[in-house]
Amino acid sequence: MRPVWVTHTHTVTALGDNLNELWKGLLSGQSGIRPVTRFKVENYKANIAACIKDLNDKKNGLMMPALLNRLLTDMQPVPEDSRLITATTKSGIDNLELLCRDHKSDPSKVLPTFIPDYISDKLGLSDKGINISAACASSTIAIARASALIASGEADSVLVCCADLVTEFVLSGFSCLQALSSEACKPFDKNRSGLSLGEGAAAIMLMSEEKAKKIGSPHLGTILGWGVANDATHITAPARDGCGLIQAVNLALSKAQLNKDDIAAISAHGTGTIYNDLMELTAFTTVFGKQKIPVHSIKGAIGHTLGSAGGIEVAVGLKTLFNQIVPPTKRCSDPEDMATGLVSNKAKEISGNYMLTTNSGFGGINAALILGKGNIE
Amino acid sequence: MIASITGIGWVTSTSMGCGKDFINQKDKFFEMTPGLLPKIKRKNIFDTPDKHFGRMDTFSKTGLAAIAFALHDAGLNEQEMNTTGIVASTVYGCLKTDVDYYHTVLPKNGTMASPGLFAYTLPNCFLGEAAIRFKLKGTSFIINERSSSGMSALRTALENISFGEADKMISGICDIIPPSNFPVNKDTFPGALFFVIEKLPTEKSLHYGRLKIKKDGTLLYNQNKIKNLISLAKECMFHEVVL
Repeated sequence: MRPVWVTHTHTVTALGDNLNELWKGLLSGQSGIRPVTRFKVENYKANIAACIKDLNDKKNGLMMPALLNRLLTDMQPVPEDSRLITATTKSGIDNLELLCRDHKSDPSKVLPTFIPDYISDKLGLSDKGINISAACASSTIAIARASALIASGEADSVLVCCADLVTEFVLSGFSCLQALSSEACKPFDKNRSGLSLGEGAAAIMLMSEEKAKKIGSPHLGTILGWGVANDATHITAPARDGCGLIQAVNLALSKAQLNKDDIAAISAHGTGTIYNDLMELTAFTTVFGKQKIPVHSIKGAIGHTLGSAGGIEVAVGLKTLFNQIVPPTKRCSDPEDMATGLVSNKAKEISGNYMLTTNSGFGGINAALILGKGNIE
Repeated sequence: MIASITGIGWVTSTSMGCGKDFINQKDKFFEMTPGLLPKIKRKNIFDTPDKHFGRMDTFSKTGLAAIAFALHDAGLNEQEMNTTGIVASTVYGCLKTDVDYYHTVLPKNGTMASPGLFAYTLPNCFLGEAAIRFKLKGTSFIINERSSSGMSALRTALENISFGEADKMISGICDIIPPSNFPVNKDTFPGALFFVIEKLPTEKSLHYGRLKIKKDGTLLYNQNKIKNLISLAKECMFHEVVL
C-alpha cells in the first residue's frame, strides 16, 4: 500500500474563508452560529445557523458557485492529471428552490454533477470527476475512496472537494424531523437538544508520497486508514449500539495497521442530537475501552455542514495533530456521563501522531479515517 | 483482478425481475427504454409485510426492488451478505422527491413541510433501505454521473473488491423520470438495474461470467469490453452462460 499524503487543505466556513481563520476561531471559542436572515425562519424549530457572510454570486445570485469560487480562490496549483472527487448532499439546492418558486434559473445547476463540472473547468483538469453522495459522510467517503485509489497505485493525485449550503429546503427539513436545536447546538452536553446547521466547503489534495516529493509538495499529513460500514438499522436514526461506527473504526485501524493505543485524539461527528452523540460515545467506549482519548466536535462552532463536514474536519484534524492541541467543543459545559473526561469546552494539549475522525449519516452510513501527523502546518 | 457476476435484478418500463428467470428464454427480453415504470408493490419484492415500504418515494422503491431481485438471483444467505457493499450511479437521483418535498414547504411557509418526504431527499436512502432489509453492512454510496452508463459504479465496485475492501459488491444504476422543466438526458432511461459481483462465488451460485479490470482501466466481461450496464445485462442473460 503506497503512503497517501495530504499536500494541501483549504476551507470556507462561517468562521472565515480559510483554514487559519477557522483554526484561530475554534481555539478562541468563536461561533459562527447566528440568526438566519437569508429566508424566513419564523415557522421553524430554529432560526439560527452558521451561514457564510455575503454568499451570493454577482452574476446570478446563486450561492453554490459563489461558495466554490471562494474555495478555489486560494487553491495551490493542482496537477492537471489529478483525479477529481467531489462530495455534497444537496449541491445547488438554492437553485432548486428558485425553480420551484417559478423564478428563472438554470436547472442544470441543480444536479450534483454541477460541482465536479464547475471545479474541473475552473482548474483546467483533464478529469471531469465524479460526485459522491452518502449523506453526512459524503466527503469522508470521498477521501476514503481517493486514498484507496492512491494507495493501490490507480492514481497519483486526487483532489477532493466538498460543499453544502444552508437553505430553506434544508432547514425546514431538519426542522420537521425535529432534529434542530432552538439554541446553538451543544455537542456531547447533557442538555443538548439537537443540531445547528452550517454551510461550508473544503478542498483536500491527496498525493502519493512519490508524486508529492517529485513536484515538491508539502507533507501536511497522511491518510493512514479508512473504513466505511452501514449499521443496517434505520434510515434517519443511528443504531443505538453504534455497531456501524464500531465496524468503520475497526476497519480504519486495521487498514492503518495501528493499535487503539496509538490514537491521540478523536474528531467526532458530534452533531448535538441526543441519539447521534450517545451512539458515538457508545462506539468509542466499545472500541477504546477505558482509554481517555480526547474527543471533540467542531459543530458547536461552525454548525453541521452536512456533506462537507468530513472534509472540513480532516483539514482541522491535521492542524490538531501538527499543533498537538485539540480544539474546544463549543458549549459542552456539562458533558454527557460517557463523555466526562473525554470532551471539554476548553482546548486540550495532546501527545501523539495519529487521530481518528468519524462521520455518520442518513441511510445508516458510518465512515472513519485515521490521520497521521505531517511535518509542516 | 477478476470477479464474477452472480446476480442481476431490474425494474424497467418493460419488465421487472431476476436474471436467471430470463437466461436464454427466447420469449423474454430485457430492455431499458423510455416509458412509465410499473407500479411496484411490496408483494413484488417481499413475501412478508413491510410497514415502511408504502412510505418510500418512487426512486427508493425502484432501486430497492432491483437490488432485492439481484440478491434473490444471486441466492446469497444473510450471513453471506453481511459485509456486502453497494454503490449505485444516478443522474437525477431523488430530484423528483426534492421537488415534491419543497412543494410541501412553499404553500404555508414551512408549516406543512413533510418529514416523510424529507427523509427521502438524499439519493443514498434506498441503499440504506436495502441495507436494513438484507443486513448489508459494507459501504454504501451514490455516484452522481452525467450519463447512465453506470460504468463509474461498476468500476468502483470492482476496485473495492480489487483493493481488498469487500468480497461482494452490489453495483448498478437507478433513475426515474425527472420533474418537468428539468433537462432530460436522452441516454438516461427510467428504471434500475443492479448486479451482484463476487470475488469468490460459492459453488452453489450460478455465475454469469467474469469481470476484469485491465491495467489500462478497461472493464471486460468474458474478455469483451463493456460499454454500459444495459448491454452488460443483455450479454449476461442472452449469451453463453458459464456454469
